[in-house]
Amino acid sequence: MEISTMLKTLQDPMGIPFYPIVFQVLMVLTFALHIMFVNFTIGTTFLSLYGYLKGGEFWGRLSKSMVKATTANISMAMLLGVAPLLFVQVVYDPFWYASNALSGAWVIGFIFIMMAAYGLTYVFYLKKDSQRGKGFALTGITALGLFLLAGLIMHALNYQALQPDKWLGWYMKGNAVNTSGTSLQAFQLPRFLHFIIPSFAMTGIFLMLYAWYFQKREDMDQGYLDRVGVIGAKMAFLFTALQAVIGFWWLLSLPGEFNFISNPIFMSGAGLGLVLLALLYKAQNAPLKYAVPAVTGAFLTILGMSYAREALRMKYAGRFGYSIFDYKLNIDWGSTVLFLGTFVMGLIIIAYLLSIAYKSGRTAGLYDATPLMHKWGRASIVLLLMWIVIVAGLGIIISVRNYL
Amino acid sequence: MYPIWEVPNLTAGIILAVIATFHILPSHLSTSAMWFNVYIETKAYKEDKPELLEFIRKYSLLLLVFAYVTGSLSGIGIWYAATVANPRGISGLIHNYVWGWATEWVFFIIEVTGILMVVIVGILAFMLSPGKWIETGNFFDGFFNKTYWSQLLVRTTLMFAIAAVYAIAAAARLKNEEVRKFIIKTASKWGLAGLLLGGTAFFWYLKTIPAAGQELIQTFAPQGLKTGIIASFVLLLFYFIYANLKPLTIRLVTAVLAIAVLFAGIWSTERMREIIRKPYVISQYMYSNQIIGNDIASKNVTSETNLINQKGILAVSPFVPEPLRVVNDANMIEAGKLIARIECLSCHTLDKSGLRPMPQMVERRGFTDAEEMKVFLEGLDGYAYMPPFMGKKKKKNALANYLVSLNR
Repeated sequence: MEISTMLKTLQDPMGIPFYPIVFQVLMVLTFALHIMFVNFTIGTTFLSLYGYLKGGEFWGRLSKSMVKATTANISMAMLLGVAPLLFVQVVYDPFWYASNALSGAWVIGFIFIMMAAYGLTYVFYLKKDSQRGKGFALTGITALGLFLLAGLIMHALNYQALQPDKWLGWYMKGNAVNTSGTSLQAFQLPRFLHFIIPSFAMTGIFLMLYAWYFQKREDMDQGYLDRVGVIGAKMAFLFTALQAVIGFWWLLSLPGEFNFISNPIFMSGAGLGLVLLALLYKAQNAPLKYAVPAVTGAFLTILGMSYAREALRMKYAGRFGYSIFDYKLNIDWGSTVLFLGTFVMGLIIIAYLLSIAYKSGRTAGLYDATPLMHKWGRASIVLLLMWIVIVAGLGIIISVRNYL
Repeated sequence: MYPIWEVPNLTAGIILAVIATFHILPSHLSTSAMWFNVYIETKAYKEDKPELLEFIRKYSLLLLVFAYVTGSLSGIGIWYAATVANPRGISGLIHNYVWGWATEWVFFIIEVTGILMVVIVGILAFMLSPGKWIETGNFFDGFFNKTYWSQLLVRTTLMFAIAAVYAIAAAARLKNEEVRKFIIKTASKWGLAGLLLGGTAFFWYLKTIPAAGQELIQTFAPQGLKTGIIASFVLLLFYFIYANLKPLTIRLVTAVLAIAVLFAGIWSTERMREIIRKPYVISQYMYSNQIIGNDIASKNVTSETNLINQKGILAVSPFVPEPLRVVNDANMIEAGKLIARIECLSCHTLDKSGLRPMPQMVERRGFTDAEEMKVFLEGLDGYAYMPPFMGKKKKKNALANYLVSLNR
């Protein structure tokens, strides 16, 4: 069977319920957010371990804050990871399912690895205070190792997905098929590193942001915050520079026919990366002042690079005549409106939750909400109630019409 | 058809079932326990009983680590397991319900967990009773189907019983006897209410199940599962009554046993739900072995059975070694085994023991002759519990020969 025919055969005959570009944009946007928190997770786990092992007042304190941040970062990474996982299955289903089915044991393993890593992080976080000595760091080290292993599995699954020409070779030898799913078949070092190294750059920026955020709190030690900011800026710059080098290594290892270096989406992403590098260079002298521009620049770079990753996937898929823009359409307006409406509502509510968290964290003692925040909070609840009324109403009308 | 992932003895489907059953505990718990906590906390402040807050702290930590961490990860786990156990099934659901899942995701992000169930039950109920969707292909026709409201009610009421079982476990080791007594008494009342309301709703749910499913319950559902449902219900009922009468005698061991009983009950009901869906994974659309069995005209989808019957399953599936595409005497057994993997592995292990093991079944029926076996395979057409055999004569012959070879 021709590979292009095989991919067409594997596509879901149901088609997709809305235009592919919408799924693509949502997939890239949510992936960018997801990978940012994955980076924070790995970086803050590393830093909390480093601080714990180094000991002393400064590092002990930083370690404590970092592991607390890890527990939050990992839930965010997970929550945000669900969306790109969903959308990739909508438009790239043949690739994703084939790759997963070939490594079934690892796919299931991923879940248990994440559970163990998450659990160990909590142990490290909750039990760390009681001065348990260096050996206790093993919980954290194992957690970090497991996070990296989870990253490796995701890398392999995605990279396998890009090579449909090799699937049959991985699956069968002669007349026999290998159904064990115990092998990961594809690994590309520069690609893997390009997703992992930013962890340290992003955590540097995270530190700058942390120092900037708490500087307004009178009960915080300003000397401590300044030092955190300086270390953050240094980490951010060095690892962003390293990331650029690895980026070129990856670029050079891509199939020549892609001519990816001249791809406009890639060029925009790389351009943003260079601007970020320059910005971080300037930030060395005043890390706190540059914290917000740095995180903005970093997110835009990640977004640009996430689109470049998608552009690269289009190149790989295009080799076999596959384009998401040819996907069979079965437009379903009802459910599209349901999602878009809920999405807008979600943005309003999440913005409210974030501003409350932002403001209360910056206040020493109890935070007193302003009238505007009160209104916003009430509006959020009203929106939720409206959602329930509308959906339940719709449900009742449809049930009565169809079954009574 | 995607590559097949084979789990020795168990089948990939059982991995999915274990993760899914486990997921029900933390996911229902995280919603219902929130209400329980709010109730206890209000009491603590209103009646000035700060000692109650000690329990809240303990229970909240259990909730955070157990319910939240394992709940969200096992939820994603169901999805991963479905991806490798039945990729075309999950794909069919996603290509209809992507916006439903995306909507659920928004609630996941804003942490309004109560709504998650409202959304996911629509998709679960759809798999059981797609209703008018078969004709219209419309999202909401499939979503608000015949078993939607009854399942939603069963799950929303029973989740309070789940919260109660866990609250008792969390309270069992409290040092303050007054607090322990109060929490266990309160929780047992919540548990009883949840169980009784849930039990009543369950009868309504049984009534809403489509006729074909009803018949499967009567004829095919293993007695073990029925007993599992009833026994766990009765045991928990007594447990809550006992806990209410003698709250201080409940020890952690008892409380953990109660969790095990709960797990057994959920396992039985979930397996039952899967059985009444048979021979489909998505009722009236896709068979359990991922082959599309019916046209969905509104979506321009045609049944695959005709194509497979004309050309043979090995000719149309992508992941087939080229030499096996045409069956001959030399490759008969190998081809038969691959056909068994594609068409039977969703529900039967090919190993000697485990889930509905084929070698045992062939042996028990005493098949030694391929011709007899073929007649049996033909008989599947009229057997409501299983998909018909799909494929050309030669392929049926190969499968029959392979199956008979298992009995040697």
